[in-house]
Amino acid sequence: MKESKVDTPILEGRSLTKYFGVLAAVHGVTFSVGKGEVLGMIGPNGAGKSTLFNILMGVYAPDEGEVVFRGRTISGLSPHKICRMGMAKTSQIVQPFKEMTALENVMVGGLHGKNLSLRDATQEAEKILEFVGLGAMKKAVSASITIPDRRRLELARALATGAEVILLDENMAGLNPTEVENGLRLLTEVRNQGKTLVVVEHIMRAVMEISDRILVLNYGEKIAEGTPDEIAHHQKVIEAYLGEKYASDR
Amino acid sequence: MFKQWIPTSLLLITLCLLLMPLAGFSDYLIRLLAIIFLWVGKASCWNILSGMTGHIDFGAVGYYGIGSYTTALLMSKADVPFFFAILVSGLVSSLIALPIGLPTLRLKGAYFGIATLAFAEAMKQIVLEFDKTAGVRFFEGPHGITLPIGPRNEFFYYVGFGVMVVVMATAYGVRRSKLGYALRAIREAEQAAELAGVDTLRAKVKAYMISAFFLGLIGGIETYWLTYITPHMVFDVLITIQMVVMSLLGGMGTVFGPVMGASFLTILYEVLHRDFPYTYTILVGFIIVVVVLLMPKGIVGTLRKR
Repeated sequence: MKESKVDTPILEGRSLTKYFGVLAAVHGVTFSVGKGEVLGMIGPNGAGKSTLFNILMGVYAPDEGEVVFRGRTISGLSPHKICRMGMAKTSQIVQPFKEMTALENVMVGGLHGKNLSLRDATQEAEKILEFVGLGAMKKAVSASITIPDRRRLELARALATGAEVILLDENMAGLNPTEVENGLRLLTEVRNQGKTLVVVEHIMRAVMEISDRILVLNYGEKIAEGTPDEIAHHQKVIEAYLGEKYASDR
Repeated sequence: MFKQWIPTSLLLITLCLLLMPLAGFSDYLIRLLAIIFLWVGKASCWNILSGMTGHIDFGAVGYYGIGSYTTALLMSKADVPFFFAILVSGLVSSLIALPIGLPTLRLKGAYFGIATLAFAEAMKQIVLEFDKTAGVRFFEGPHGITLPIGPRNEFFYYVGFGVMVVVMATAYGVRRSKLGYALRAIREAEQAAELAGVDTLRAKVKAYMISAFFLGLIGGIETYWLTYITPHMVFDVLITIQMVVMSLLGGMGTVFGPVMGASFLTILYEVLHRDFPYTYTILVGFIIVVVVLLMPKGIVGTLRKR
């Protein structure tokens, strides 16, 4: 069943390569995500996960290869255009619009990502804040919001753009176990709305639980791809990232 | 708590200001108020782009100067009526802002500041040297242009007041529009704004063109009031710096910040210049430093927090 989803990919990376100077931050990475699928992306720090996300979103143009979104090559387009086509990203380092309220933060996504009127964007932002559990915070200036809530706010802003594919760059970093639990529940709900998710995460339990498939990057290259179970026992992955202990505990 | 009184008090202040010239106040006071109105207008223009987006524009005087020269040329060489001339000045400034803004607004931080500063200086040089280089008599170079003698100060009082109100209304409208949301998002986190679907360059260029339009308009008004301009006068970098200081003092990105900043600074200059003619600039500098230290968010920004 998981294979059939990939037969109609919504997002594809074709031998993507990005150099920073002589260093290949991402090298020849090919992958695809099916509609409604959750693809996990793991790898040690500096493996190129965030760079790959930035290539997908148009923040960087790839030096080689191309990004195909809904059958259209999008590499070379600017991020706002890609966003308007239906792909959004939350950032590893949360970037709320600090002097704006939580509601206004989310409204920006609706106003510009989805081209809504002010009134519609307000209504929609209120709904989305309620959905991610920040309904009570809508009037709070986002600089005053806690980090776990800011992560939810990032997700809310991405949802407000109406994106079908959401790239989550360590959306659960720095959260305690209860918060991770809540985060997973939220992501499952998002997924049940039919959204496609690509999730970069260091918290293995979270990735293993939410992902249909996992892709492993190391030194900018794809070293493995498969179901969570396959990845957990993949020799190369154990060597590069998980460690012997993780595999034997499982 | 005070919010419900804002519209009423604004209306009252407007009414008082409109009646003032008729109440027999001295010509000096009328003149001073007109100067303040025009400074509020200029600082508000600067605030529409720089206050809202955080891109500090050091070349704002370029558009003021372009407007000044457009009005001067139209009125002295083509006998174009004043109101038509200033409107054209605004349009010319705004149109020039498009090709200037498109490349420079991609720059970040200090680079944008330097590029815009260079633009304004280049405009001054062009106006200074064009005639000699091309062998014509058009801008009149350093000799400047003399305009027909204008009406009395009351006229500029009302024109200045009108322009101030329109610029502030525009700033207010922009802040509450989709564009305003985009600009504020750009100020807080430009890349996040872009990722959320904001066409950041387009939003900035729009704000830049709006700002340039009114700067050109105000340049035209002041030119007619002065009746004589030279490139050194109307492309003076100090004019930009005044706009920056006034906006910072009053509160960046707020609609009423420039009103506070411009009034405070203009009155401060007047009072200190009268009492300390030789040392007043030192005193003004000192007071600005103290105010900025005590109120880092500006007068309006600090009052709002309480």
